[in-house]
Amino acid sequence: MKVLIIEDELQLAANMVSYLSGQNYVCELASDYSQALAKISSYRYDCILLDLMLPGGNGLSILEELKRLKKEDGVIIISAKNALEDKISGLELGADDYLAKPFHLSELSARVFSVIRRRSFANANIIQHGELTVNLPAKIVEVCGKTVVLTKKEFELLIFFIGNRGRVISKSAIAEHLSGDLADMLDSHDFIYAHVKNLKKKLSDAGCGSYLKTLYGNGYKWDI
Amino acid sequence: MGHMIKLLDKPLRAFTTYSMIVLLCSIPAYFIIIDLIWVHEINEHNQLVAEATKKNLVRLNSDQTQLLAAISLWNTLQPETKIQPVRALKNDSTYNVYRKDNYNADGGYDRFQGLVTYVEINRQPYSLIVEANVEESYETIIAITAITILFFIILLVGFIKLNKNISKRLWAPFYHTLQQIKAFNLSDDKVVQFAPNTIIEFQELNDSIARLMEGNLSTFKRQKEFTENASHELQTPLAIVQSKLDLLIQDDSITADQSRLIEETNNALSRVSRINKNLLLLAKIENQQFLAKQSINMSSKLSVMLELLANLIETRKIAFQVHAECQVEANSTLTEIMLTNLLMNAIRYTCNDAKLDISLFSDKLVVSNAGTYSLEEQKLFLRFGSTSVQTPGSGLGLSIVKEICDRHGWIVSYNFTERRHSFTITFNSA
Repeated sequence: MKVLIIEDELQLAANMVSYLSGQNYVCELASDYSQALAKISSYRYDCILLDLMLPGGNGLSILEELKRLKKEDGVIIISAKNALEDKISGLELGADDYLAKPFHLSELSARVFSVIRRRSFANANIIQHGELTVNLPAKIVEVCGKTVVLTKKEFELLIFFIGNRGRVISKSAIAEHLSGDLADMLDSHDFIYAHVKNLKKKLSDAGCGSYLKTLYGNGYKWDI
Repeated sequence: MGHMIKLLDKPLRAFTTYSMIVLLCSIPAYFIIIDLIWVHEINEHNQLVAEATKKNLVRLNSDQTQLLAAISLWNTLQPETKIQPVRALKNDSTYNVYRKDNYNADGGYDRFQGLVTYVEINRQPYSLIVEANVEESYETIIAITAITILFFIILLVGFIKLNKNISKRLWAPFYHTLQQIKAFNLSDDKVVQFAPNTIIEFQELNDSIARLMEGNLSTFKRQKEFTENASHELQTPLAIVQSKLDLLIQDDSITADQSRLIEETNNALSRVSRINKNLLLLAKIENQQFLAKQSINMSSKLSVMLELLANLIETRKIAFQVHAECQVEANSTLTEIMLTNLLMNAIRYTCNDAKLDISLFSDKLVVSNAGTYSLEEQKLFLRFGSTSVQTPGSGLGLSIVKEICDRHGWIVSYNFTERRHSFTITFNSA
């Protein structure tokens, strides 16, 4: 899977590359407008991470260029502005998702995962992890062919873990993923425990191996 | 401050007082002058009569008997004159008396001015008294006072009328300027346009005020821009720190202690991010970036929000009562943010088993929860006004609520009764 990171802040870009590379994505980097333009016209990417404020031009023009070239690359806008207009115009121009800075790398990875899956053909939309099968579009989870009924939050959580396979995810990243902006308002992330606990229990009751590990009581890791 | 009067009433009062004093002083002055003229003229008249009488008596050139008869006849026919023999000639003198006049029908007192002069006829000195009726002093003074009061009333009416006219024309630009200043609102970002004026002072006043306003507006604008820019600039370094922490926890050699440190750093970092996000939101609201309005049904909006919240607040009891449907004209995004902040604020301070009440009326929304002591209302809606070690929120949630209410012309208020905190949003019923 190829990911293009268009970001002028090199430290941030390097961290993104480092995290995503560990997820078996092949990452390329473009740090200004002309570089980005050159890369998108020459290659095909599964997902493009696009910072809107670039030296040499506006990120939205890159979206327009992609549209003009009739490219099918998935695009996630990454912006420091968190401006509603940017979000709306970006999504109208064909971006798949919008992520405001600052963000957790695990959140980024989960978004990349779902953008790529969403754009893939039907068979790639079914994740097979040993005895566990997840049908993404139908939102169906099966263990050894038996359906496990999950709540909406538990399903989101499972996909989040799978999208960050082999990575340690902090509690605050999970809280933000589950509650969105509401995480800002919550002092305690205790509500996560309940969701994680329920998910773990449902999976193991169905006979699924314990892939989800709790680390030092502060983070989680989906290991397979 | 004391007693306040309108600018234009001040000169009116002064003018009125001044003209009253002048007119009051004029009463004795007029009286004295008129009386003096009267007396002077009467004296002259008496003098003329006396001189003529004296000359005629001397010219008669009659003997003593004839003379006495003539004098007696004269005294009888002319009541206000009297000729009588005296011992010696003296200097002329005048007198002024009030006397009952026998010829006056109403029998009142009359005032007389008299002249006593002397003449020698046939070597016998005689005194000659000539009198004339003068206008009585009190009658003069009454007449003068009456006229003065009349003129004073005319002046007063004139002053008031003139004052009204002047205020309408001359001071109109001033009152116009005053209206403009009253209507001026810093956050509207609108410079007041003053009409050009032909009066130098008003033009200078308008120019100075316009300069002041522009200065204020640009300072305010710069401040807002600064907040927005600063928040933007902070997002990227925050993202770098966040991503570095995310990478750090991937390290297998991390100990439990280090992991705890990272998680604590993560929490502090989330708090910084959320403060920054909220500051940015406030700056955006102030910069009028949420202008689009639409009709919103409050009860359905609240239901949707409560459903979203349900995952996070399942342990808490929420009673949502709709007493009446409530439809408002508002910005949808801002309304959601306001409701979220209000609800989360209440949820945060509600114990697990306590009940949270949400009541919706046609013109207001009340969110209340149990509490132990009243909060400080003045500080509650200020930025960072309520932050403390005990409240780990961003310290901006309620000021965002207030800002959003201000934008929509709604009123947010807090009160603490029967050990319950309640926040009320009063929507514009109009």
